[in-house]
Amino acid sequence: MKLLLIILSSLFADANAQYAAGNYAEAVSLYEQQLELEQTPAAEIYYNLGNAYFKQEELAQAILCYERCLRLAPSMRDAKHNLAFAQSRIQDNIQDTNTFFIRNWLISFRNLMSESEWIVLSVVCFFLLLAMALLFALSREPHLRKTSFYIALVALIVTFIGVINAGRLHHRDSIREEAIITQGVVNAKSSPDRSGTDLFTIHEGTKVNIKEELGEWCRITVGNYVGWIKLSNLERI
Amino acid sequence: MKRILISIFLLISAIGVMADENITFQASAPKQVVQGQPFQVTYIVNHRAGDITPPEFVDFEYLAGPYTSTSQSSTFVNGQFTSTYQQQYTYTLRPDKQGTFTLGAATIKVGSKQYTSNGLRITVLPPDESVQASGNSNKKSNASSAGKTSATTGNGDIFIRTIASKTTLHEQEVLTLSYKLYVTGMDIRGFTEKTQIPEFTGFLKQELDQKDIQFELEHYNNRNYQVATIYQTLLYPQHAGDIEIESGSFEAIILLPNTHRRSFFDDAYIQATKMLKAPGITIHAKSLPAGKPADFSGAVGRFSMTQSISETELTTNDAVTIKLDLSGAGNMKLIKTPAVDWPEGFEPYDPKVTNNFQTSSSGVSGSKSIEYLAIARNSGDYTIPSITFSYYDTQESQYKTLQTPEYTLHVKKGVGDASTGNQGTMANYTQKEDIKELGTDIRYIYTGDLRHTNTNGRLKFNSLLFHLLFLIPLAIAIAIFIIFRKRIKENADQTKVRYRKANKVAQRRLKAASRMLQANDKEHFYEEIEKASFTYLSDRLSIPTADLSKDNIADILRHKGIDDNLIHDVLDVLSTAEFARYAPSSDHQMQEMFNTTTQLINNLENQKL
Repeated sequence: MKLLLIILSSLFADANAQYAAGNYAEAVSLYEQQLELEQTPAAEIYYNLGNAYFKQEELAQAILCYERCLRLAPSMRDAKHNLAFAQSRIQDNIQDTNTFFIRNWLISFRNLMSESEWIVLSVVCFFLLLAMALLFALSREPHLRKTSFYIALVALIVTFIGVINAGRLHHRDSIREEAIITQGVVNAKSSPDRSGTDLFTIHEGTKVNIKEELGEWCRITVGNYVGWIKLSNLERI
Repeated sequence: MKRILISIFLLISAIGVMADENITFQASAPKQVVQGQPFQVTYIVNHRAGDITPPEFVDFEYLAGPYTSTSQSSTFVNGQFTSTYQQQYTYTLRPDKQGTFTLGAATIKVGSKQYTSNGLRITVLPPDESVQASGNSNKKSNASSAGKTSATTGNGDIFIRTIASKTTLHEQEVLTLSYKLYVTGMDIRGFTEKTQIPEFTGFLKQELDQKDIQFELEHYNNRNYQVATIYQTLLYPQHAGDIEIESGSFEAIILLPNTHRRSFFDDAYIQATKMLKAPGITIHAKSLPAGKPADFSGAVGRFSMTQSISETELTTNDAVTIKLDLSGAGNMKLIKTPAVDWPEGFEPYDPKVTNNFQTSSSGVSGSKSIEYLAIARNSGDYTIPSITFSYYDTQESQYKTLQTPEYTLHVKKGVGDASTGNQGTMANYTQKEDIKELGTDIRYIYTGDLRHTNTNGRLKFNSLLFHLLFLIPLAIAIAIFIIFRKRIKENADQTKVRYRKANKVAQRRLKAASRMLQANDKEHFYEEIEKASFTYLSDRLSIPTADLSKDNIADILRHKGIDDNLIHDVLDVLSTAEFARYAPSSDHQMQEMFNTTTQLINNLENQKL
């Protein structure tokens, strides 16, 4: 295990050196190799891989890597910046007009932390809740009981929020609904076969939601549009 | 001293000019002659001279000469009198061998001085074949098969050849295209207005100034022609591939011998026009090889660059000039001015470009000097990055990049002069500037160490660890709660027992006190009395004896709603017991104390505590 760690860190250093020298293709292959070897890859590997893809002008792969990086470390500011920069370069300008603004707030609030971080937060708050509950139950001092009651109430709310957000994030990651279009130009069809009417065109790098799969086709939603495209045209985050 | 030197110099140079102007001795002869046809060599001297010593005519047959002639002319223009004198010696020679020969210099004596003429190079062309072969039919076919339009009239022949200096070259490389008129056996007067020169699409054209048309002898296709370049242009292919130059047409006015001359008064020649076609030609332009430098902007040729900077130490609001001289040969006119990347804090002006090009039949050469001017607005140390200029070297067939060194400028803060309103520049600093965004790019890769021990991805919702993290603390908390609850309950039970047994304990202590009373043990008696009262109160009030004192008992009892008289009695007993313990007192008092205490405990027993 220790040997593997040494190999992995030297791989990372090699890949960074290749990136610094401008050999982005080599850097990409080294980062990919590392991702294959590691069971729980660090977010930074995805971030660097995304950068290497970006330098090779492979926007879709870069966006995919940044998204995966942010799944692991939602608070990584560099990754957020680069993702926004890469997204500014893609062709499609998707605006979801249907979603209510509070929903967007909730989603961005949920994305402030990763699933593990939400769990850690809720566990800590749960500890606090229990401690305060015990204090409340066992103390006879009215002042102490009052304070502990309010602290316990807040801890309970935070615990619930943490658990709910962790659950939502876990759900999102387990169904892997979000995907990035990897094909240059894709025509979305009205039905899951070749003869279907072309409904709309989306371009490389656009983020879509997979709602349903049928053979090699999947039904996607993007903004307010719904259509069928081939699974090979996209890659799940 | 200086003045004297200058005047001496002027004097000497004037004498020199006089001497030079005085006597010239020049030889002249046709450059090309035809074998077997006599030609003349002429020597001209502009001063009365003595005998001429001709060179040895080794390669030529001497026929006659020298014929001497003199001419003199005087002019009086604007009060200036000039007179010219010429003495001319003419030799007639006949070349017998083909090839290029040198005719040595002749010498002449003018006064007491010997003058030497220039030497001459004369090319002897083979004789015209058609002179021997009287028929023209084979000649005609010959000419047309050579790809040109010819007009054969009698023994004469006239056509135009299109001559490109190169037919295979790189794009942007220069080529010279000439239309050459070949004429023999007739006279040509000129061209009409119907002359059409092709468009040269696909090329950048730069016409060469046409000097007077000069005919030269040239041996072409076994005939000797009078040849003149009638049109010449420089062409730069603008794209790669085969570029065709269309054929041009010239309408020539020629003079033909009048074959129908019936009388002496008829003209010996008749004038006619003849349409001459300049054949088209295809130029193969190769594209420039791959690996163009980033700043390559299409310059092709050979160039060199020199640069200079006006100063490197300056104060704010001073101007700095960088001068760049590009010289060489190539498509000079198409060169883009290289850009200078002035650092922020300099206010650049448009560069001033001075071109000095010479155009000749071999292309354009010369120099382009560019002056970049900028004014330093802020103080500090600045580096002006090197200016680069890339071109394709046609001789070495590779790209080359010329580069100036980097300049480091030190700008000092100008001395603020309030009277001249220099405050204006100072005031500028109070206007805060936003950070200027010069460009956007992705942020750099993460280069730190990877945290292999991170828990990211391990702690999952709904996993066993997740549930344990909630269940274990909950279980611990419940356990703690149960244990504490139990202990409280136990404590409560204990106090209840003690409450119930309070009277018994008090009676036991009172019994012990009565024993002390009989034994007249005063000290222990009062101690027992005090203890009995305290323990009783402690048990009844469920307050540990340690927390009870004479001071707080009254408060606690009052809080419990006990009658003030009773409280007074309690305090009285306690204080008496404490006081009497160490003070002398009688037995009677002890008996009374015992009774009061017994009475008090009985009274308290009836109260609800």
